[in-house]
Amino acid sequence: MPETVDLSNMFNDAGMWAALIAACLGTYLWRGLGVFLSGKISQDSEIFKWLSAVTYAMVAALTLRIILLPVGLLSTVPIYVRLTVTILALIVMYSKPGERMVPALLTGTLALVLYALAINYIN
Amino acid sequence: MSLNKEVVLQGAKDAFGAPAAVLFAGMVGFGAMGQANGLDIWLTSATSFFMFALPGQVVLIEMLVLGASGVAIAFAVTLTATRFFTMCLTLFPQFPEKQRSSFYYVLVHFMAMTSWAIAMKDFPKMEPEKRLSYFTGFALVCWGVSTPGTALGYLIAGQVPSYLNLGMVFINPLFFLLTFTEVKPRANRIAILLGAVIGPVSYLWFPNYSLLIAGLVGGTIAYSVDLSLRKKAIA
Repeated sequence: MPETVDLSNMFNDAGMWAALIAACLGTYLWRGLGVFLSGKISQDSEIFKWLSAVTYAMVAALTLRIILLPVGLLSTVPIYVRLTVTILALIVMYSKPGERMVPALLTGTLALVLYALAINYIN
Repeated sequence: MSLNKEVVLQGAKDAFGAPAAVLFAGMVGFGAMGQANGLDIWLTSATSFFMFALPGQVVLIEMLVLGASGVAIAFAVTLTATRFFTMCLTLFPQFPEKQRSSFYYVLVHFMAMTSWAIAMKDFPKMEPEKRLSYFTGFALVCWGVSTPGTALGYLIAGQVPSYLNLGMVFINPLFFLLTFTEVKPRANRIAILLGAVIGPVSYLWFPNYSLLIAGLVGGTIAYSVDLSLRKKAIA
């Protein structure tokens, strides 16, 4: 957990809100542009298939980055622990395809919580 | 705009359960992160309300704490949000063209990776006329729980032991990873595998552009492989 820092030394309040507004506009820009251009695309077209593949590659990249190279609290957990609980969850998920989302989620999450509890206890 | 109230409610009902719970937990974890980094509760909650893109929100806080310039922050966050562009391009064409209206520009703000992933999975089984109403209900619930979750996480940050917080931060990426196992089209499955490898590797060299690189390179290779396999099947 990072130490609480006094942000006023590095960034004034107005500056933070300005950064927030700019970041929100930047995020909405993609959404709005996507809606604007989506009318030109048919769901049966080849370009739709390509765009779907690009999007899945992007969200998979993002997900794996968060698990493998996290910032903040998750980065305090060693990578082999993160990998182990992830694989545990995947095993539960694949044990009965299509019906195991909640058990798999609980397995992975509880395994990680138990690990952190054990570490807490040892220290 | 013609929304079917019953279908909207069905979408909302389906969102309550794992999808909204996962998003809520992630936002609680994010609220706690805002508190731990010394931001105020208004700014932390505003990111969920107005940006509603958890990875971008994390980048925002991280860079604020590092004292990065506003321009650099906006640039980095905007780059993480590129996925919304292709998410829109693959979601909105699945609604019947006659339902297209300026309402899309409002609705799109409520789209998250969660609602997009569920739509991609379930829309093929759903009547096209019902999709817009269903998605509206589903997405609104996902967005609706996010800001309260963030504020709650901020307020209870001191009282929640870090092992519980850890679970809440982890449940979100784990949920997405698990939904990937349910993706059916072959091109998309290959794309997921390639993106999962290219993303983290390219992040080590080009942190700002890693998602774009993984998307374009991984997605294009996956599409090409699938196309050549389809051609072979016909030949």
